[in-house]
Amino acid sequence: MKSTRWLAVALVAMLAAGACTSGAAPSASAPASPSSAPTTAASPSEAPSTNPEAVIPNVEDGAEITFWTFYLSPTFDDYIKATIDRFEETYPGVTVKWEDHQATFLDDYRNAFAAGNAPDVANLSNNEGWVREFAEKDLLLSMTDNLPAEVIDDYFPDLFNDSLVDGKSYQVPWYQAVPVELVNTEIFEAAGLSLDDFPDTWDGIPELCQTIKDATGKLCDIRLTVNDYLAQMVYEGGVDVINDDGSEFTFDSTEAVEWLQTYVDMVAAGTVDRAQLVTADDRTALELFTSGQAPFYNTGPQLIREVKSSNPALYEKLAIAPFPVGRSGVIQPTSMAISVKADTEFPNASMALAVFFTNPISEVEFSKTVAVYPSTIAAFDDAFFTEEPELIEDSARPLAKDIISKMKNIMPSIPEKADVNAIVGRAVESALFNNVPAQQALSDAVAEANALLE
Amino acid sequence: MTTSRSLTPYLFLVPALLLIGVFVLYPIVSVVYYSFTDYDISTPPVWIGLENYQKLIGDDTFWLALSHSIVYLLVTPILIVLSIGLAIIVNRRLRGIHVFRALYYIPAVSGSIAIGISWRWLFDTNGLINSFLISLGLLDRPIQWLSEPAAVLPIAMLLTIWAGVGYYSVIFLAGLQNISEDLYDAARIDGCSDLQKHRYVSVPGLRPQIVFVAVISSLAALKVFDEIYVLTNKTGGILDSGTTIVFYLWEQAFRLTHAGYASAIAIVLLAITLVFSIVNIRLLDRRAEAD
Repeated sequence: MKSTRWLAVALVAMLAAGACTSGAAPSASAPASPSSAPTTAASPSEAPSTNPEAVIPNVEDGAEITFWTFYLSPTFDDYIKATIDRFEETYPGVTVKWEDHQATFLDDYRNAFAAGNAPDVANLSNNEGWVREFAEKDLLLSMTDNLPAEVIDDYFPDLFNDSLVDGKSYQVPWYQAVPVELVNTEIFEAAGLSLDDFPDTWDGIPELCQTIKDATGKLCDIRLTVNDYLAQMVYEGGVDVINDDGSEFTFDSTEAVEWLQTYVDMVAAGTVDRAQLVTADDRTALELFTSGQAPFYNTGPQLIREVKSSNPALYEKLAIAPFPVGRSGVIQPTSMAISVKADTEFPNASMALAVFFTNPISEVEFSKTVAVYPSTIAAFDDAFFTEEPELIEDSARPLAKDIISKMKNIMPSIPEKADVNAIVGRAVESALFNNVPAQQALSDAVAEANALLE
Repeated sequence: MTTSRSLTPYLFLVPALLLIGVFVLYPIVSVVYYSFTDYDISTPPVWIGLENYQKLIGDDTFWLALSHSIVYLLVTPILIVLSIGLAIIVNRRLRGIHVFRALYYIPAVSGSIAIGISWRWLFDTNGLINSFLISLGLLDRPIQWLSEPAAVLPIAMLLTIWAGVGYYSVIFLAGLQNISEDLYDAARIDGCSDLQKHRYVSVPGLRPQIVFVAVISSLAALKVFDEIYVLTNKTGGILDSGTTIVFYLWEQAFRLTHAGYASAIAIVLLAITLVFSIVNIRLLDRRAEAD
């Protein structure tokens, strides 16, 4: 009887342990070491020179490549499938197997490398640091080294160089949002404000929020970039977060303290929605705006269609204000990227697919489907971008080329970035919600982060 | 003939053993191995000996998460008391009682994420709770409940209790229906009131179910994750106010990609769970012997 009970306890513990493993048990097989340069295939099929979209030579005949996208299915199935069909016609003999991964994309991609079956081509995010994460581990193919120079020149230079690792790009930029402020004019009018009162710079936001709260009781729906606090410090606060040789963090400078103090003051004044301020889920902040409870929300015009479908009444009262520039004076790029894994069996075919999806023809077609903006300069010569738009969600279209040309990644490379971000996150929350002075919180965080560099 | 007969039971066991081997034993052994490595999931693990365990000792967030998980165990006695109470109530022969039983059981068959999202809406700045309190004049302005560090854990515990009462009460209901009516008759003859009847007959009669519920609900409390994940929007709450040990494990493994360190946390959790289960069963066992 007693032994049965002990057996039961052991089984319970095993089940508990089973739950604790959380599926983090990939195979022990190591990813092959990256091949730094794609080889010319044994039986290359020269790209047909008559097709202007066939820009990559020596594409491997009979190549079967896998392509993962992020959150594009089912909404854009038709577009993706049509583009793949056109690609397969352009490069006969190459077949593409497409999969769309959604909320678990990053976990799936990491696990796929561990299991040795990562896709040849993948849609990664520059902003979330995914390109850098995998490039720093030598898992991605260098586009700088392997793409023809004339292909590289097609892209906006600062987008192509968005996520450099050791001075090289491991992605081709795909689509991006143009950051704008969606404004609920009903709340603005109730606060005695007009669209012109929306500040041009980030420094004007606290006063705007105070005015709105005093007049309407509504709170600002502002989000800290919890996945990358340092980037927000850099762009909004003009902060130098690390010294030139990358040996010491410096995000406890006067500029950094001022940046944090601005948010501390807004929290103390109760002018911002605290839950949205530090949420990792941008959907909840968008939902708050969509519900009509927030005066404005920083996003891309592509999300206006969600407002339109979820709350048509709000759509009628919607206006767009330019994105307020931070103290850095530049706008952070927001491009989605396409990368190729370093040890792909078909590097030329994989690069061809990456370039094909990001060429002006494919990008303009995509922009016609949804309000995203191309990464190639020539795409903006299309009449679609030069003609005056009619709908509010299209109002950024003629401005997009100018805005994108001003986008610049001024983020330095951050060692141990995820850990440093977690440290900064704790410091920011301590200052915002636990009365720790901003200077002390940041100085403590710098000391902790510098310890990681030792 | 003899050989084939002696092999037969093992052949029947093979499918189950294979499943347990692949989905339980192999992951456990892997996690033990990874806990001694620096492992970021996408590149091969590197052996670092006891470094992860040494780091755990000095990790304030780990201790905070552990303390939150231990506090979370308070849901177990509350769940037991409420579930027994509910089981006693629905054990009566009343018209429509089956409907009530089904209603109480609904949370048990609802998805934890769906429940979490519903509760997030309830406690939202513009949610039902704030609207209700404001309409009663108890609040001037809405409270941002889920941004209040002191409120996150109690709200999550409340959710766990609400979601668990129906499920556990069914277990107690089955136990109550196995207690002989003769015992209640004897208690009544001895002059017991209704309350005393349950104190001296129902509760002792439910001891096997209490042991069972105590063990599984406390294990579930130690492993709580879904509620925290949803209520705090994947952040663990402001100032880690809702971070429990499994949430911290997830954060280390999948947000910070420290799968080796997360494995060390998992092993510590396994040890705590094992010790806790043994102590739990032995304590309840002793009480049974004393009675």
